[in-house]
Amino acid sequence: MSSSLPEQTKTPAPAGVFTLVITGAPYSSQAPQTALQFAQAVLAAGKRIDRVFLYGDGVHLSSSLSTPPSDELNLSEAWASFLTENNIPGVACIASALRRGLVNEAEMQRYELTASNLRPPFEIAGLGEWVDSAASDSRVLYFHKGG
Amino acid sequence: MSTLIIIDQPPYGSWDGREALDMAFSLAAFDQPVSLLFCGAGVNWLRKGQDAAKVQQKSIERNLSAAPIFGVEALLADSDACGRYGLAESDLLEHAIITDFGPELTNRFDHVAFAG
Repeated sequence: MSSSLPEQTKTPAPAGVFTLVITGAPYSSQAPQTALQFAQAVLAAGKRIDRVFLYGDGVHLSSSLSTPPSDELNLSEAWASFLTENNIPGVACIASALRRGLVNEAEMQRYELTASNLRPPFEIAGLGEWVDSAASDSRVLYFHKGG
Repeated sequence: MSTLIIIDQPPYGSWDGREALDMAFSLAAFDQPVSLLFCGAGVNWLRKGQDAAKVQQKSIERNLSAAPIFGVEALLADSDACGRYGLAESDLLEHAIITDFGPELTNRFDHVAFAG
């Protein structure tokens, strides 16, 4: 960074409400853990999270079937508990989810599939939910796979 | 509220860029100003004459060519990356613009997001 750049004096959105977008998958990236720790810190600081949006490989976090060994953190369960306890909507992008085999009962019936596996309280919805946050005053943060 | 979506991943090796493109189209569909910037290996998205049939994928070229019609304001290509990959403006899709990628560019947008 050049030292001639103007010093940043304001943030692009007020740091009171956050939207978290998780695109990194559990157990192949650190994104869900980092996002969860950030989310816990946000609430501890008395700020708000309006929505958690799962996109791309991040939708695997909404699986009700992930069953890690008992001495490992069950990330799907940890996130689901956090969202439920704090009444925060968790949304998995429908296109990302269907591609990767994450379906709720409605999609199971629509596509005549043999099972559904979306873990409550996660819901399936379109990118419009993300657009809604991006167009609002909330600060949107992305948790990618990195590397 | 204007958004710049940055794609730094090469086409066809992962779905990250393709899903970032969906994000851009989605913003445009909701009348939110959006531009795309391709940098690093991502500039290869903008090459003319792509054929992805042999890797069982759909070429992204038609989608990108339609981006201005769907309301994506600009398809920007980082000049350094174009130099590295030997791409001149004549090698790129019709609406692509070669530009310098730096704070002067990103400061023009309220919201900057990278593809996964």
